Amino acid sequence: MSVESWVITTDEKQVGGMVAAARHLGGPVTAVVVGNRALVDAVAATGPDAVRWVSTAPDVPPEAYAAAVADLAAADLAVADLAAADLAVADLAAADLAVADLAAADLAVADLAAADPPRVLVCSTEPAARVLLGAVAARIGAAVVPGMLDLAASDGDVVVTRAALGGEVIETLVTGGPVATVFVGEDVESGAPDAVDVVEQAAIAADARIEGTEPVGSATGVADAARVVSFGRGVRAKADVALIRQLADVLGAELACSMPIADDLGWLEKERYVGRSGQHIAPRLYLAVGIGGAPQHLEGVRDAKVVAAVNNDPDARIFRSVDYGIVGDLYEVVPALIDALGR
Amino acid sequence: MKVVIVYTWARDGANAAVRADGTVDWRGAKMTAGEDDPAALAVAKRLAEDTGGTVVGLTIGDGDASWVLARGVGEAFSVTDVPPYADNAATARVIAAAVERIGAVDVVVMGDSKQDPGVAPAVAGHLGWTALAGLDSASAVDGRVAAVRRSATEQQTISAAPPLVLGVAAEADVDTKPGMKELLAARKRPLTTWPMGDLVDPGDDVRSTGTRKPDVVAATLFDGDPATSAAQLVAALRADGVL
Ligand SMILES: Cc1cc2nc3c(=O)[nH]c(=O)nc-3n(C[C@H](O)[C@H](O)[C@H](O)COP(=O)(O)OP(=O)(O)OC[C@H]3O[C@@H](n4cnc5c(N)ncnc54)[C@H](O)[C@@H]3O)c2cc1C
Ligand SMILES: Nc1ncnc2c1ncn2[C@@H]1O[C@H](COP(=O)(O)O)[C@@H](O)[C@H]1O
Repeated sequence: MSVESWVITTDEKQVGGMVAAARHLGGPVTAVVVGNRALVDAVAATGPDAVRWVSTAPDVPPEAYAAAVADLAAADLAVADLAAADLAVADLAAADLAVADLAAADLAVADLAAADPPRVLVCSTEPAARVLLGAVAARIGAAVVPGMLDLAASDGDVVVTRAALGGEVIETLVTGGPVATVFVGEDVESGAPDAVDVVEQAAIAADARIEGTEPVGSATGVADAARVVSFGRGVRAKADVALIRQLADVLGAELACSMPIADDLGWLEKERYVGRSGQHIAPRLYLAVGIGGAPQHLEGVRDAKVVAAVNNDPDARIFRSVDYGIVGDLYEVVPALIDALGR
Repeated sequence: MKVVIVYTWARDGANAAVRADGTVDWRGAKMTAGEDDPAALAVAKRLAEDTGGTVVGLTIGDGDASWVLARGVGEAFSVTDVPPYADNAATARVIAAAVERIGAVDVVVMGDSKQDPGVAPAVAGHLGWTALAGLDSASAVDGRVAAVRRSATEQQTISAAPPLVLGVAAEADVDTKPGMKELLAARKRPLTTWPMGDLVDPGDDVRSTGTRKPDVVAATLFDGDPATSAAQLVAALRADGVL
């Protein structure tokens, strides 16, 4: 049995990892791209078997196409049939029919008795992609499972390996029905694939528009820095920030912090705090000094290459998520680090 | 606008313990609202305020209606006998059925949680409504919703027409614990409960064949005197080529 899957994307993040996970099902992998041509090209380069493209107007958010993408799933035609059907769809669009009617028309044109929707859906944690996934899942009656790390097919079942309980455990879920998954695993680079067919789909957007996009705060070097030294409430006084800054300087690193340092204490600009609601960064080195390691903080450095921490509490949560740790008082360890780096 | 704030009242996974064999011990986990729910409630109230509308609360499972009633919401609905589902679509089907039963709803606001990021999108899917997720705030302008989404570098405002599902992701803990007066007032506010069986059959959950501990590579910890530890860390970072 061949398990067909759709990888639904609205941005480039994690696409390689998602396609790789879907590949483990052994069936054809279709990328459904809601966005512009540049995104289509980037997604096609990750090696799906086919790409179905819903082109977005610049001021329309991808979420507005959720119903249209769900309609595609419901009327899942062979790619070749779609190409033929598209002609008729274009004519109908001019007649201003509802999207649901268009999907029905698609079926009529192709003269299909039964449509065969995808069995497995995959998207990233990106809000717009999840909205599209939710719409398709509801339409095809799929379960929705977050935290997906990997997929497999076994005896007609789909097996989902997923992170649960905030990543504290790995759970195995099995389902005989369709399933939609939110991928949180590692991204992977893919080799240069063969050219894939891109089929543009006619789609009508719901009533939503982007009113404006503005930059937030002032730019700091934190976002693109190769090395970042970050500190938290383990630093006792504002005057002590100078000591951490000295370490950053010796390392050629940008200075960052945990949320309370910027939000409650105001010791650094808000643009410098890292985490769920702050910066999401991917430096080669992230050195956390006097930071407890709350999951909301660590979300911001998931993609860092090496994470190291200094904390005086051997049981601090951060030591469960780092590559290297020094257990000790930062007021002794930081001067020692500055010294060691100078050698 | 008639706004429904959907909030979780469930065991807090942060206080569950993982046993050595990878099974989960929930005994220490107390019941709590979702982490993003206070921020979602603030958005729901704002939309009602902007339009002279109303907010009603909705929770499912072992939902404690007082959480929302003690935070200024005048009326609440609760669906009982709902098991905790691994399948976000099953949870969403129950929520969507309750929203339909409440009736004449313009906007559903809910927490866009890290743990269950599929619930809000699936609620929208089941209702057939447009959804926006990962939101920071929203207001009402000319009968439409102006929703704001922020990343570390930019902020986007999206205008959308109801009916809508909005998923709000909290930026920080914005909950204010109600005082005695609010708790007493909450007891007098109307609460309607529906057994799930009267509303919807969400079908079978996906089957879990068990949990295990993740294969984490343990951190290399240096815990000697500061000078030695510092030298060891610097050597390790140099070896990794990140200095
Ligand atoms: C919805 C939501 C979103 C959030 N988003 C973010 C976010 O984006 N970013 C973020 O950072 N936080 C965020 N938080 C807050 C987060 O939960 C934590 O409260 C916060 O990260 C803690 O900051 P901290 O590690 O500096 O402080 P603490 O947790 O107090 O940790 C300080 C650490 O310093 C150590 N220490 C103390 N003295 C010393 C010493 N002398 N030497 C060495 N170590 C020492 C202690 O052992 C402790 O581990 C969010 C919270 C919520 C609810
Ligand atoms: N048992 C539940 N009862 C009510 N709402 C829920 C439930 N589970 C999830 N939700 C909704 O989904 C959102 C995210 O859930 P959670 O991960 O539990 O915070 C919440 O803000 C609620 O709106």
